[in-house]
Amino acid sequence: MEKSLLMYEACAGCSAIRQLRMLGEKLSGSRVVHVNSTREGGGVAEILAWMVPLMRDLGIDASWEVIRGAGDFFSVTKSIHNGLQGFPISISQKGWETYHGTNETNAERLRSSLEDAEIVVIHDPQPAPLLNLCEGRKGKWVWRAHIDISHPYLPVWKTLRTIVKGYDASIFSMPQFALPLPHPQYLVTPSIDPLSEKNCDLRPDELEAVRARFGLDPSRPLLVQISRFDRFKDPLGVIDAYRLVKKVQPVQLVLAGGGATDDPEGAEVLQEVMEAAKGDQDIHVLLLPPDAHRTVNALQRVADVIIQKSLREGFGLTVTEGLWKGKPVIGGDTGGIRKQVVDYHTGFLVNTPEGAAHRIRFLLHHREKMKVMGEKAREFVRENFLLTRHLRDYLILFHALLSGSREPRIYV
Amino acid sequence: MNPFVVMDCVLLTRMSGLQEAASLRELRERVAVCSENVLYHHFHETLLRPTFDYPDYHNDFAVWAKLHLADPLLAERFGIIDPFSFSSLEELRGVMLEIIDERLNVLSISPTVSRGSEFYFFEADTVVFDTGDRICSPAELAPVVSRMSTGSIFFHFIEAHRREPIDMDDFSAWLIQFGDETSDLRDALQTIDNAFLTLSEMRNEICDRLSAQNP
Repeated sequence: MEKSLLMYEACAGCSAIRQLRMLGEKLSGSRVVHVNSTREGGGVAEILAWMVPLMRDLGIDASWEVIRGAGDFFSVTKSIHNGLQGFPISISQKGWETYHGTNETNAERLRSSLEDAEIVVIHDPQPAPLLNLCEGRKGKWVWRAHIDISHPYLPVWKTLRTIVKGYDASIFSMPQFALPLPHPQYLVTPSIDPLSEKNCDLRPDELEAVRARFGLDPSRPLLVQISRFDRFKDPLGVIDAYRLVKKVQPVQLVLAGGGATDDPEGAEVLQEVMEAAKGDQDIHVLLLPPDAHRTVNALQRVADVIIQKSLREGFGLTVTEGLWKGKPVIGGDTGGIRKQVVDYHTGFLVNTPEGAAHRIRFLLHHREKMKVMGEKAREFVRENFLLTRHLRDYLILFHALLSGSREPRIYV
Repeated sequence: MNPFVVMDCVLLTRMSGLQEAASLRELRERVAVCSENVLYHHFHETLLRPTFDYPDYHNDFAVWAKLHLADPLLAERFGIIDPFSFSSLEELRGVMLEIIDERLNVLSISPTVSRGSEFYFFEADTVVFDTGDRICSPAELAPVVSRMSTGSIFFHFIEAHRREPIDMDDFSAWLIQFGDETSDLRDALQTIDNAFLTLSEMRNEICDRLSAQNP
């Protein structure tokens, strides 16, 4: 079901909706095209799945295009992704040729739509070369980097920089993620959709059904980490933390995630996790299909403590989701998790499995404190990380770019 | 009489283009050359950011000095700066530089921070919305203010000082048209010490003062 803005008024408040309507009037009829590399799996696809319909609801002619590529293209873009996140990885000349070649093929298909658009938003590095392949472009082009590129492997960044420096503006989730570029760099934090299957309220019987389906014991505390099977999410570190807690508390652990079509490493990491979990009936490793949103929602709601022990993280929408469910989150002290997890208020930041185990034990021993932190966490998300605020930031940016105004005050 | 037009505002933050500062000396270099919008952002617009408890200091420089530079003395000196007490942002910049220079003079080395704790220089576009609400008489002011968003309070009570008439909040500026009968109201508003109030507290304080003068 496509949602309308009106449905968000109860969660976000009427003034937020009024602001969006006013911005929508200014941009009415403008053609906006978003481009990314996958329709399903991962935070970017989830954001676009709600953002594009809501932009349309505001009268903006918004659309979402996905670039197509073969396995070798996604292997290269995964290497670029890892390189940008600091992994020293060598990309061959042939790899870069594959990257550009696939973008050229996609440009043939998308050129007329992209060149005619008033605003084009290119998400992440995969489709970034499209800019230079659309020489007849009329509108403003924005590069949206969802990942942490603060300390990239320099040979990879040097090549990518030559591509993205031509954009009219870029958007980063955190200042620490940005690197110098010769255009305005805006800061926009991502968000969650409170009415989506992954975040909406669920009935108790649905929660119990999910508990029963995965054989989870309701009488023992449950730790849950939801994320792709990716080394940067440190699933093995979570297992280490669980084992440290289990020495003193009879806990259970769920590591659940889906695969994304642009992440060929996932199967390998999943195998490592299965190996590490072998023989322990209380570790539940779940590879979920990309549409298992209600299952993820239920797992987060039946969790006692939600973990996101990432070593590197873009923003960490699974953290936002956990906070929205009224749970304190134990998160890796990195990237956007720092913006969401505030010690003793919304959860705890940790750096090691030992640190995670320590904080898990603290929370399990302080149930009242955990409840208060959970309530604060939900309000924190309501104020800052719902999609209405996210949409507003994009519309303001579009408005500023199209008006060409350099004034620090913009009247809508 | 002109009605009071109630506006709301939000910020869209961007990188200033200045490189982040990893030491006190680098902070000095950047503060010396940054735009007034950058100074304004780090001293005033921090009010629009969410906080869980009372921050020790309201400007970003003091917070950074305390949390990242681990220099409590410098944090205290930055922390007491009242940005509203200066006639211009240039004057404020001069005081900042003086404080840093004094500190650098005393310290044998320029203290540095670890990676990830650098000071980032931002500026923001203020986006202003007309809420559609109008106030026609001074007596209506308090009840309407009590329902205003924190964005409205920021725009009319803080941001207003940058607009004509310079150095006056919008409520006081609007009340002038009613002549001497509102002079007590204006005095009450203009003597609010807003340097240590959150926007919600500011809203309550404005309402209290308006109600006391106009029960």
